[in-house]
Amino acid sequence: MIANVIRNLKKYSFLLNQLISRDFKVKYKRSVLGVLWSLLYPVLTMSVMAVVFSNVFKFSTPGINYLVYLLSGLVMFNYFSEASNLAMSSVVANFSLINKVYIPKWIFPLSKCLFVGINFLLTLIPLYAVIILTGTEITWLHLLLPYAVICLFMFTLGVSLILSTIAVFLRDIYYIYGVIVMFMMYLTPIMYDINILDSWMIPILKLNPMYNYINFARMIIIYRQMPSIESWVACFISSVLVLAFGVFLFKKKQDKFIYYV
Amino acid sequence: MKKEKYMIELDNVSMMFNLDIDKGFSLKQWFVDSLSIKKLKERKKIKKENQFWALKDINLKVKKGEVIGLIGPNGAGKSTLLKIVAGVMKPTNGTVKVRGTVCPMIELGAGFDMDLTARENVYLNGAVMGYNRDFIEKRFKEIIDFAELWDFIDVPLKNFSSGMVARLAFSIATLVDPEVLIVDEILSVGDIAFQEKSKAKMMEMINGGTTVLFVSHSIDSIRDLCNRAIWLNKGRIVNVGSTNSICHKYLNSVSGGIVNEKKHK
Repeated sequence: MIANVIRNLKKYSFLLNQLISRDFKVKYKRSVLGVLWSLLYPVLTMSVMAVVFSNVFKFSTPGINYLVYLLSGLVMFNYFSEASNLAMSSVVANFSLINKVYIPKWIFPLSKCLFVGINFLLTLIPLYAVIILTGTEITWLHLLLPYAVICLFMFTLGVSLILSTIAVFLRDIYYIYGVIVMFMMYLTPIMYDINILDSWMIPILKLNPMYNYINFARMIIIYRQMPSIESWVACFISSVLVLAFGVFLFKKKQDKFIYYV
Repeated sequence: MKKEKYMIELDNVSMMFNLDIDKGFSLKQWFVDSLSIKKLKERKKIKKENQFWALKDINLKVKKGEVIGLIGPNGAGKSTLLKIVAGVMKPTNGTVKVRGTVCPMIELGAGFDMDLTARENVYLNGAVMGYNRDFIEKRFKEIIDFAELWDFIDVPLKNFSSGMVARLAFSIATLVDPEVLIVDEILSVGDIAFQEKSKAKMMEMINGGTTVLFVSHSIDSIRDLCNRAIWLNKGRIVNVGSTNSICHKYLNSVSGGIVNEKKHK
Protein backbone atom coordinates (compact mmCIF):
# COMPACT_ATOMS: atom_id res chain seq x y z
CA MET A 1 0.00 0.00 0.00
CA ILE A 2 2.79 2.41 0.89
CA ALA A 3 4.56 1.57 -2.37
CA ASN A 4 1.36 2.44 -4.14
CA VAL A 5 1.15 5.78 -2.38
CA ILE A 6 4.74 6.64 -3.29
CA ARG A 7 4.23 5.68 -6.93
CA ASN A 8 1.14 7.86 -7.14
CA LEU A 9 2.91 10.75 -5.47
CA LYS A 10 5.72 10.46 -7.98
CA LYS A 11 3.33 10.30 -10.88
CA TYR A 12 1.45 13.39 -9.79
CA SER A 13 4.33 15.33 -8.26
CA PHE A 14 4.46 17.75 -11.16
CA LEU A 15 0.74 18.46 -10.91
CA LEU A 16 1.16 18.99 -7.18
CA ASN A 17 4.03 21.32 -7.88
CA GLN A 18 1.95 23.27 -10.42
CA LEU A 19 -1.06 23.55 -8.11
CA ILE A 20 1.11 24.89 -5.31
CA SER A 21 2.88 27.39 -7.52
CA ARG A 22 -0.48 28.50 -8.87
CA ASP A 23 -1.61 29.21 -5.33
CA PHE A 24 1.44 31.36 -4.78
CA LYS A 25 1.06 33.21 -8.06
CA VAL A 26 -2.62 33.90 -7.57
CA LYS A 27 -2.20 34.86 -3.94
CA TYR A 28 0.39 37.51 -4.60
CA LYS A 29 -0.85 38.82 -7.91
CA ARG A 30 -0.79 42.62 -8.00
CA SER A 31 0.85 42.98 -4.64
CA VAL A 32 3.99 45.08 -4.53
CA LEU A 33 5.76 43.05 -1.89
CA GLY A 34 4.65 39.70 -3.30
CA VAL A 35 5.97 36.61 -1.59
CA LEU A 36 7.55 38.84 1.04
CA TRP A 37 4.08 38.97 2.57
CA SER A 38 4.43 35.33 3.52
CA LEU A 39 7.11 36.50 5.87
CA LEU A 40 5.78 39.89 6.81
CA TYR A 41 2.16 38.98 7.50
CA PRO A 42 2.80 36.45 10.25
CA VAL A 43 5.43 38.73 11.78
CA LEU A 44 2.96 41.59 11.95
CA THR A 45 0.01 39.58 13.24
CA MET A 46 2.18 37.86 15.81
CA SER A 47 3.55 41.21 16.94
CA VAL A 48 0.04 42.48 17.47
CA MET A 49 -0.86 39.42 19.52
CA ALA A 50 2.35 39.66 21.50
CA VAL A 51 1.71 43.29 22.34
CA VAL A 52 -1.93 42.71 23.22
CA PHE A 53 -1.43 39.66 25.37
CA SER A 54 1.70 40.66 27.21
CA ASN A 55 0.91 44.34 27.74
CA VAL A 56 -2.85 44.72 27.67
CA PHE A 57 -3.97 41.44 29.22
CA LYS A 58 -0.73 41.04 31.16
CA PHE A 59 -0.36 37.38 30.34
CA SER A 60 2.94 35.98 31.37
CA THR A 61 4.68 32.69 31.92
CA PRO A 62 6.84 32.83 35.02
CA GLY A 63 10.44 31.84 34.51
CA ILE A 64 10.38 31.71 30.73
CA ASN A 65 10.14 34.18 27.93
CA TYR A 66 6.50 34.88 27.11
CA LEU A 67 7.18 36.00 23.56
CA VAL A 68 8.89 32.73 22.61
CA TYR A 69 6.15 30.81 24.40
CA LEU A 70 3.41 32.62 22.49
CA LEU A 71 5.05 32.52 19.07
CA SER A 72 6.00 28.84 19.15
CA GLY A 73 2.38 27.93 19.83
CA LEU A 74 0.94 30.45 17.45
CA VAL A 75 3.09 29.42 14.49
CA MET A 76 1.95 25.82 14.81
CA PHE A 77 -1.69 26.56 15.44
CA ASN A 78 -1.85 29.03 12.56
CA TYR A 79 -0.53 26.36 10.24
CA PHE A 80 -3.23 23.96 11.33
CA SER A 81 -6.11 26.39 11.10
CA GLU A 82 -5.09 27.98 7.81
CA ALA A 83 -4.29 24.72 6.03
CA SER A 84 -7.40 22.90 7.17
CA ASN A 85 -9.59 25.86 6.29
CA LEU A 86 -8.18 26.15 2.77
CA ALA A 87 -8.25 22.41 2.22
CA MET A 88 -11.85 22.18 3.36
CA SER A 89 -13.13 23.99 0.27
CA SER A 90 -10.45 22.67 -2.10
CA VAL A 91 -12.42 19.77 -3.55
CA VAL A 92 -15.56 21.83 -4.00
CA ALA A 93 -13.62 24.70 -5.56
CA ASN A 94 -11.95 22.46 -8.12
CA PHE A 95 -15.12 20.76 -9.19
CA SER A 96 -14.83 21.99 -12.78
CA LEU A 97 -11.62 19.99 -13.04
CA ILE A 98 -12.87 16.89 -11.30
CA ASN A 99 -15.86 16.83 -13.59
CA LYS A 100 -13.85 16.89 -16.80
CA VAL A 101 -10.53 15.17 -16.34
CA TYR A 102 -9.49 12.24 -14.26
CA ILE A 103 -7.25 13.50 -11.47
CA PRO A 104 -6.86 11.85 -8.10
CA LYS A 105 -9.00 13.99 -5.86
CA TRP A 106 -6.77 13.78 -2.81
CA ILE A 107 -4.35 16.01 -4.64
CA PHE A 108 -6.39 19.12 -3.78
CA PRO A 109 -6.38 18.90 0.02
CA LEU A 110 -2.78 17.69 -0.09
CA SER A 111 -1.65 20.62 -2.23
CA LYS A 112 -3.28 23.08 0.17
CA CYS A 113 -1.57 21.48 3.16
CA LEU A 114 1.78 21.71 1.37
CA PHE A 115 1.17 25.25 0.16
CA VAL A 116 0.45 26.48 3.67
CA GLY A 117 3.36 24.29 4.80
CA ILE A 118 5.77 26.36 2.75
CA ASN A 119 4.38 29.48 4.38
CA PHE A 120 4.82 27.76 7.71
CA LEU A 121 8.50 27.12 7.03
CA LEU A 122 8.90 30.79 6.20
CA THR A 123 7.37 31.80 9.52
CA LEU A 124 10.08 29.80 11.25
CA ILE A 125 12.47 32.59 10.26
CA PRO A 126 10.83 35.22 12.46
CA LEU A 127 10.32 32.58 15.16
CA TYR A 128 14.02 31.79 15.26
CA ALA A 129 14.86 35.47 15.09
CA VAL A 130 12.85 35.96 18.27
CA ILE A 131 14.44 32.92 19.89
CA ILE A 132 17.90 34.29 19.20
CA LEU A 133 17.07 37.91 20.08
CA THR A 134 15.57 36.94 23.43
CA GLY A 135 18.70 34.99 24.23
CA THR A 136 17.01 31.60 24.42
CA GLU A 137 19.66 28.96 24.07
CA ILE A 138 19.47 26.69 21.01
CA THR A 139 20.52 23.14 21.74
CA TRP A 140 21.06 20.05 19.63
CA LEU A 141 17.58 18.97 20.69
CA HIS A 142 16.24 21.31 18.01
CA LEU A 143 17.10 18.54 15.58
CA LEU A 144 14.11 16.65 17.00
CA LEU A 145 11.66 19.41 16.06
CA PRO A 146 10.91 17.98 12.60
CA TYR A 147 9.18 15.12 14.41
CA ALA A 148 6.61 17.54 15.84
CA VAL A 149 6.26 19.23 12.46
CA ILE A 150 5.68 15.93 10.65
CA CYS A 151 3.07 14.88 13.22
CA LEU A 152 1.42 18.28 12.88
CA PHE A 153 1.39 17.89 9.11
CA MET A 154 -0.12 14.39 9.22
CA PHE A 155 -2.76 15.51 11.68
CA THR A 156 -3.62 18.54 9.56
CA LEU A 157 -3.78 16.46 6.39
CA GLY A 158 -6.06 13.96 8.10
CA VAL A 159 -8.40 16.70 9.30
CA SER A 160 -8.28 18.28 5.83
CA LEU A 161 -9.32 15.04 4.14
CA ILE A 162 -12.21 14.64 6.57
CA LEU A 163 -13.34 18.24 6.15
CA SER A 164 -13.09 18.29 2.36
CA THR A 165 -15.18 15.12 2.21
CA ILE A 166 -17.85 16.52 4.50
CA ALA A 167 -17.87 19.82 2.62
CA VAL A 168 -18.92 18.06 -0.57
CA PHE A 169 -22.08 16.73 1.03
CA LEU A 170 -22.80 19.36 3.63
CA ARG A 171 -21.77 22.93 2.96
CA ASP A 172 -22.83 23.89 6.50
CA ILE A 173 -19.47 22.59 7.64
CA TYR A 174 -17.81 25.87 6.61
CA TYR A 175 -19.61 27.65 9.40
CA ILE A 176 -19.51 24.82 11.87
CA TYR A 177 -15.79 24.39 11.42
CA GLY A 178 -15.16 28.11 11.94
CA VAL A 179 -16.67 27.74 15.39
CA ILE A 180 -14.77 24.53 16.07
CA VAL A 181 -11.42 26.10 15.18
CA MET A 182 -12.13 29.03 17.42
CA PHE A 183 -13.00 26.68 20.25
CA MET A 184 -9.88 24.63 19.60
CA MET A 185 -7.74 27.73 19.64
CA TYR A 186 -8.86 28.57 23.17
CA LEU A 187 -8.60 24.95 24.19
CA THR A 188 -4.97 24.98 23.17
CA PRO A 189 -2.60 26.75 25.52
CA ILE A 190 -1.22 29.17 22.96
CA MET A 191 -1.33 32.46 24.81
CA TYR A 192 -1.83 31.19 28.33
CA ASP A 193 0.04 28.80 30.54
CA ILE A 194 -1.73 25.50 31.05
CA ASN A 195 -1.02 25.73 34.80
CA ILE A 196 -3.35 28.70 35.26
CA LEU A 197 -6.29 26.38 34.57
CA ASP A 198 -8.24 24.40 37.16
CA SER A 199 -6.62 21.02 37.58
CA TRP A 200 -9.66 19.10 36.30
CA MET A 201 -9.32 20.79 32.91
CA ILE A 202 -5.75 19.76 32.26
CA PRO A 203 -6.44 16.12 31.30
CA ILE A 204 -9.13 17.30 28.87
CA LEU A 205 -6.69 19.69 27.25
CA LYS A 206 -4.16 16.95 26.86
CA LEU A 207 -6.61 15.05 24.67
CA ASN A 208 -6.34 17.85 22.15
CA PRO A 209 -3.78 16.72 19.55
CA MET A 210 -2.67 20.30 18.93
CA TYR A 211 -1.66 20.56 22.57
CA ASN A 212 0.63 17.57 22.16
CA TYR A 213 2.50 18.92 19.13
CA ILE A 214 2.91 22.36 20.60
CA ASN A 215 3.95 20.96 23.94
CA PHE A 216 6.53 18.75 22.25
CA ALA A 217 8.04 21.73 20.43
CA ARG A 218 8.00 23.95 23.52
CA MET A 219 9.70 21.29 25.59
CA ILE A 220 12.63 21.52 23.23
CA ILE A 221 12.66 25.21 22.39
CA ILE A 222 11.87 26.71 25.77
CA TYR A 223 12.66 24.14 28.41
CA ARG A 224 15.60 22.62 26.48
CA GLN A 225 14.53 19.17 27.62
CA MET A 226 13.99 15.89 25.88
CA PRO A 227 10.21 15.44 25.52
CA SER A 228 8.82 12.60 27.62
CA ILE A 229 8.00 9.20 26.17
CA GLU A 230 4.29 9.94 26.63
CA SER A 231 4.71 13.07 24.56
CA TRP A 232 6.37 11.16 21.72
CA VAL A 233 3.70 8.51 21.79
CA ALA A 234 0.80 10.96 22.06
CA CYS A 235 2.04 12.88 19.02
CA PHE A 236 2.48 9.73 16.99
CA ILE A 237 -0.81 8.07 17.85
CA SER A 238 -2.99 11.14 17.45
CA SER A 239 -1.55 12.08 14.07
CA VAL A 240 -1.53 8.57 12.62
CA LEU A 241 -5.05 7.83 13.81
CA VAL A 242 -6.52 11.03 12.41
CA LEU A 243 -4.67 10.65 9.11
CA ALA A 244 -5.74 7.02 8.77
CA PHE A 245 -9.36 7.93 9.42
CA GLY A 246 -9.14 10.82 6.94
CA VAL A 247 -7.71 8.59 4.22
CA PHE A 248 -10.32 5.92 4.91
CA LEU A 249 -13.23 8.36 4.76
CA PHE A 250 -11.97 10.19 1.68
CA LYS A 251 -11.30 6.98 -0.21
CA LYS A 252 -14.68 5.59 0.64
CA LYS A 253 -16.60 8.63 -0.47
CA GLN A 254 -14.56 10.03 -3.34
CA ASP A 255 -16.45 8.27 -6.13
CA LYS A 256 -19.65 9.92 -4.96
CA PHE A 257 -18.22 13.46 -5.01
CA ILE A 258 -19.16 14.02 -8.60
CA TYR A 259 -22.90 13.76 -7.94
CA TYR A 260 -22.96 16.19 -5.08
CA VAL A 261 -20.72 19.08 -5.88
CA MET B 1 -7.01 -14.41 -24.08
CA LYS B 2 -9.03 -13.07 -26.91
CA LYS B 3 -7.43 -12.81 -30.26
CA GLU B 4 -8.40 -9.28 -30.86
CA LYS B 5 -7.48 -6.56 -28.44
CA TYR B 6 -10.11 -3.95 -27.91
CA MET B 7 -9.07 -0.47 -26.90
CA ILE B 8 -12.35 0.29 -25.21
CA GLU B 9 -14.67 -2.30 -23.76
CA LEU B 10 -17.96 -1.41 -22.12
CA ASP B 11 -19.87 -4.29 -20.68
CA ASN B 12 -23.48 -3.73 -19.65
CA VAL B 13 -22.74 -0.23 -18.48
CA SER B 14 -25.55 1.65 -16.77
CA MET B 15 -25.43 5.01 -15.12
CA MET B 16 -28.02 6.18 -12.67
CA PHE B 17 -28.39 9.70 -11.36
CA ASN B 18 -30.44 10.50 -8.34
CA LEU B 19 -32.48 13.58 -9.04
CA ASP B 20 -33.14 14.05 -5.33
CA ILE B 21 -29.58 15.05 -4.63
CA ASP B 22 -29.86 18.56 -5.93
CA LYS B 23 -33.03 19.26 -4.03
CA GLY B 24 -30.86 19.30 -0.99
CA PHE B 25 -31.77 18.32 2.49
CA SER B 26 -33.95 20.51 4.57
CA LEU B 27 -34.24 20.02 8.27
CA LYS B 28 -37.85 21.21 8.31
CA GLN B 29 -38.92 18.81 5.57
CA TRP B 30 -37.17 15.98 7.31
CA PHE B 31 -39.12 16.60 10.51
CA VAL B 32 -42.43 16.89 8.70
CA ASP B 33 -41.77 13.73 6.73
CA SER B 34 -40.62 11.61 9.61
CA LEU B 35 -43.64 12.58 11.70
CA SER B 36 -46.18 11.29 9.24
CA ILE B 37 -46.15 7.53 8.76
CA LYS B 38 -48.60 7.82 5.93
CA LYS B 39 -45.96 9.36 3.79
CA LEU B 40 -43.58 6.46 4.21
CA LYS B 41 -44.98 4.50 1.29
CA GLU B 42 -45.25 7.58 -0.77
CA ARG B 43 -41.65 8.45 -0.18
CA LYS B 44 -40.45 5.08 -1.35
CA LYS B 45 -42.37 5.55 -4.55
CA ILE B 46 -40.93 8.99 -5.07
CA LYS B 47 -37.46 7.69 -4.48
CA LYS B 48 -37.84 5.29 -7.33
CA GLU B 49 -39.32 7.90 -9.61
CA ASN B 50 -36.40 10.17 -9.03
CA GLN B 51 -33.90 7.73 -10.38
CA PHE B 52 -32.77 8.82 -13.78
CA TRP B 53 -30.93 6.36 -15.94
CA ALA B 54 -28.63 8.39 -18.13
CA LEU B 55 -27.26 5.19 -19.63
CA LYS B 56 -28.82 1.76 -19.64
CA ASP B 57 -27.11 -1.50 -20.59
CA ILE B 58 -24.54 -0.14 -22.96
CA ASN B 59 -22.32 -2.70 -24.63
CA LEU B 60 -19.56 -1.38 -26.81
CA LYS B 61 -16.27 -2.71 -28.10
CA VAL B 62 -13.90 -0.45 -29.98
CA LYS B 63 -10.91 -1.74 -31.88
CA LYS B 64 -7.64 0.08 -32.27
CA GLY B 65 -7.76 2.83 -34.87
CA GLU B 66 -11.52 2.97 -35.05
CA VAL B 67 -13.22 6.34 -35.07
CA ILE B 68 -16.62 6.13 -33.48
CA GLY B 69 -19.16 8.90 -33.82
CA LEU B 70 -21.86 9.28 -31.19
CA ILE B 71 -25.05 10.96 -32.29
CA GLY B 72 -28.37 11.56 -30.66
CA PRO B 73 -30.53 14.35 -29.30
CA ASN B 74 -29.62 16.44 -26.25
CA GLY B 75 -29.74 14.41 -23.08
CA ALA B 76 -29.27 11.10 -24.86
CA GLY B 77 -26.31 10.23 -22.65
CA LYS B 78 -23.49 10.96 -25.09
CA SER B 79 -21.42 13.09 -22.75
CA THR B 80 -22.06 10.76 -19.83
CA LEU B 81 -20.72 7.91 -21.94
CA LEU B 82 -17.58 9.90 -22.73
CA LYS B 83 -17.09 10.75 -19.08
CA ILE B 84 -17.33 7.13 -18.11
CA VAL B 85 -14.73 6.14 -20.69
CA ALA B 86 -12.50 9.00 -19.54
CA GLY B 87 -12.67 7.72 -15.97
CA VAL B 88 -14.28 10.87 -14.62
CA MET B 89 -17.34 8.93 -13.49
CA LYS B 90 -17.75 5.39 -12.35
CA PRO B 91 -20.76 3.58 -13.78
CA THR B 92 -23.51 2.41 -11.45
CA ASN B 93 -23.43 -1.06 -13.01
CA GLY B 94 -21.21 -2.80 -15.52
CA THR B 95 -17.53 -2.68 -16.26
CA VAL B 96 -15.35 -0.37 -18.28
CA LYS B 97 -11.97 -1.28 -19.67
CA VAL B 98 -9.81 1.20 -21.52
CA ARG B 99 -6.34 0.37 -22.76
CA GLY B 100 -3.59 2.87 -23.38
CA THR B 101 -3.31 6.56 -22.65
CA VAL B 102 -6.56 8.45 -22.76
CA CYS B 103 -6.79 12.09 -23.71
CA PRO B 104 -10.15 13.53 -22.73
CA MET B 105 -11.20 16.65 -24.59
CA ILE B 106 -14.55 16.84 -22.92
CA GLU B 107 -14.45 20.47 -22.10
CA LEU B 108 -11.50 22.41 -23.34
CA GLY B 109 -9.64 24.47 -20.85
CA ALA B 110 -10.99 22.76 -17.77
CA GLY B 111 -8.30 23.62 -15.28
CA PHE B 112 -7.29 26.90 -16.80
CA ASP B 113 -6.78 29.58 -14.23
CA MET B 114 -7.93 32.87 -15.65
CA ASP B 115 -5.58 34.84 -13.41
CA LEU B 116 -2.50 33.15 -14.79
CA THR B 117 -0.76 33.91 -18.06
CA ALA B 118 -0.91 31.71 -21.13
CA ARG B 119 2.57 30.41 -20.41
CA GLU B 120 1.71 29.46 -16.84
CA ASN B 121 -1.51 27.85 -17.95
CA VAL B 122 0.26 25.65 -20.47
CA TYR B 123 2.23 24.13 -17.62
CA LEU B 124 -0.73 23.91 -15.27
CA ASN B 125 -3.02 22.35 -17.82
CA GLY B 126 -0.30 20.02 -19.05
CA ALA B 127 0.18 18.85 -15.49
CA VAL B 128 -3.56 18.32 -15.13
CA MET B 129 -3.46 16.08 -18.18
CA GLY B 130 -0.69 14.09 -16.57
CA TYR B 131 2.44 15.24 -18.40
CA ASN B 132 5.70 16.11 -16.72
CA ARG B 133 7.74 19.28 -16.94
CA ASP B 134 10.34 18.05 -19.44
CA PHE B 135 7.69 16.90 -21.81
CA ILE B 136 5.80 20.18 -21.75
CA GLU B 137 8.97 22.21 -22.09
CA LYS B 138 9.90 20.26 -25.20
CA ARG B 139 6.48 20.75 -26.75
CA PHE B 140 5.99 24.31 -25.55
CA LYS B 141 7.03 25.95 -28.82
CA GLU B 142 4.84 23.58 -30.80
CA ILE B 143 1.81 24.39 -28.66
CA ILE B 144 2.10 28.13 -28.96
CA ASP B 145 2.94 27.85 -32.66
CA PHE B 146 -0.21 25.87 -33.26
CA ALA B 147 -2.35 28.24 -31.20
CA GLU B 148 -0.67 31.24 -32.84
CA LEU B 149 -0.51 33.06 -29.56
CA TRP B 150 3.14 34.15 -29.31
CA ASP B 151 2.09 37.81 -28.99
CA PHE B 152 0.02 37.14 -25.89
CA ILE B 153 2.15 34.55 -24.18
CA ASP B 154 2.54 36.55 -20.95
CA VAL B 155 -0.95 37.98 -20.81
CA PRO B 156 -3.38 36.65 -18.17
CA LEU B 157 -6.08 34.48 -19.71
CA LYS B 158 -8.87 36.67 -18.39
CA ASN B 159 -7.89 39.21 -21.04
CA PHE B 160 -8.12 36.66 -23.86
CA SER B 161 -11.08 36.41 -26.17
CA SER B 162 -13.00 33.17 -25.79
CA GLY B 163 -11.73 32.01 -29.17
CA MET B 164 -8.14 32.53 -28.09
CA VAL B 165 -8.70 30.55 -24.90
CA ALA B 166 -10.23 27.74 -26.92
CA ARG B 167 -7.30 27.74 -29.35
CA LEU B 168 -4.81 27.46 -26.53
CA ALA B 169 -6.83 24.66 -24.95
CA PHE B 170 -7.06 22.72 -28.18
CA SER B 171 -3.34 23.04 -28.76
CA ILE B 172 -2.51 21.71 -25.32
CA ALA B 173 -5.03 18.92 -25.54
CA THR B 174 -3.59 17.61 -28.78
CA LEU B 175 0.06 18.00 -27.88
CA VAL B 176 0.55 14.28 -27.65
CA ASP B 177 -0.70 11.47 -29.75
CA PRO B 178 -2.79 9.65 -27.21
CA GLU B 179 -3.93 6.13 -27.91
CA VAL B 180 -7.51 6.93 -27.11
CA LEU B 181 -8.94 10.35 -27.83
CA ILE B 182 -12.27 11.42 -26.40
CA VAL B 183 -13.76 14.42 -28.11
CA ASP B 184 -16.89 16.33 -27.21
CA GLU B 185 -17.99 19.00 -29.69
CA ILE B 186 -14.79 20.90 -30.01
CA LEU B 187 -14.17 21.23 -33.68
CA SER B 188 -16.20 24.40 -33.70
CA VAL B 189 -13.42 26.19 -31.90
CA GLY B 190 -11.95 29.51 -32.95
CA ASP B 191 -12.33 31.25 -36.29
CA ILE B 192 -12.75 29.52 -39.65
CA ALA B 193 -9.04 29.27 -40.29
CA PHE B 194 -8.45 27.65 -36.93
CA GLN B 195 -11.40 25.31 -37.42
CA GLU B 196 -9.82 24.02 -40.59
CA LYS B 197 -6.50 23.67 -38.84
CA SER B 198 -7.95 21.78 -35.89
CA LYS B 199 -9.86 19.48 -38.20
CA ALA B 200 -6.66 18.74 -40.10
CA LYS B 201 -4.92 18.02 -36.82
CA MET B 202 -7.67 15.61 -35.86
CA MET B 203 -7.37 13.85 -39.22
CA GLU B 204 -3.63 13.57 -38.70
CA MET B 205 -4.17 11.94 -35.31
CA ILE B 206 -6.77 9.58 -36.71
CA ASN B 207 -4.51 8.55 -39.55
CA GLY B 208 -1.78 7.94 -37.01
CA GLY B 209 -3.88 5.12 -35.56
CA THR B 210 -5.50 6.87 -32.64
CA THR B 211 -8.78 5.41 -31.45
CA VAL B 212 -11.38 8.13 -31.22
CA LEU B 213 -14.74 8.53 -29.53
CA PHE B 214 -16.36 11.56 -31.02
CA VAL B 215 -19.53 13.41 -30.08
CA SER B 216 -20.92 16.03 -32.37
CA HIS B 217 -24.18 17.51 -33.51
CA SER B 218 -22.61 18.30 -36.83
CA ILE B 219 -23.51 15.31 -38.97
CA ASP B 220 -21.03 16.55 -41.55
CA SER B 221 -18.13 16.25 -39.14
CA ILE B 222 -19.25 12.79 -38.14
CA ARG B 223 -19.42 11.73 -41.79
CA ASP B 224 -16.01 13.19 -42.54
CA LEU B 225 -14.20 11.66 -39.60
CA CYS B 226 -15.87 8.51 -38.39
CA ASN B 227 -15.96 5.00 -39.72
CA ARG B 228 -18.66 3.78 -37.35
CA ALA B 229 -21.54 5.57 -35.73
CA ILE B 230 -23.63 4.91 -32.67
CA TRP B 231 -27.04 6.42 -32.28
CA LEU B 232 -28.02 6.98 -28.67
CA ASN B 233 -31.41 7.95 -27.37
CA LYS B 234 -32.58 8.16 -23.76
CA GLY B 235 -29.55 6.28 -22.55
CA ARG B 236 -29.88 3.32 -24.86
CA ILE B 237 -28.18 2.42 -28.08
CA VAL B 238 -30.76 2.73 -30.84
CA ASN B 239 -28.56 1.59 -33.69
CA VAL B 240 -24.95 0.86 -34.52
CA GLY B 241 -23.46 0.62 -37.97
CA SER B 242 -21.63 2.34 -40.77
CA THR B 243 -21.55 6.08 -40.50
CA ASN B 244 -23.58 6.77 -43.60
CA SER B 245 -26.49 4.49 -42.86
CA ILE B 246 -26.77 5.53 -39.22
CA CYS B 247 -26.56 9.22 -40.04
CA HIS B 248 -29.19 8.75 -42.69
CA LYS B 249 -31.53 6.94 -40.33
CA TYR B 250 -30.95 9.46 -37.61
CA LEU B 251 -31.66 12.42 -39.84
CA ASN B 252 -34.81 10.74 -41.12
CA SER B 253 -36.06 10.17 -37.62
CA VAL B 254 -35.56 13.78 -36.71
CA SER B 255 -38.66 15.39 -38.21
CA GLY B 256 -38.15 16.08 -41.89
CA GLY B 257 -34.66 14.80 -42.32
CA ILE B 258 -34.38 16.33 -45.74
CA VAL B 259 -34.57 19.82 -44.34
CA ASN B 260 -31.74 19.07 -41.99
CA GLU B 261 -29.55 17.58 -44.64
CA LYS B 262 -30.05 20.57 -46.86
CA LYS B 263 -29.09 22.87 -44.05
CA HIS B 264 -25.83 21.10 -43.54
CA LYS B 265 -24.89 21.42 -47.18
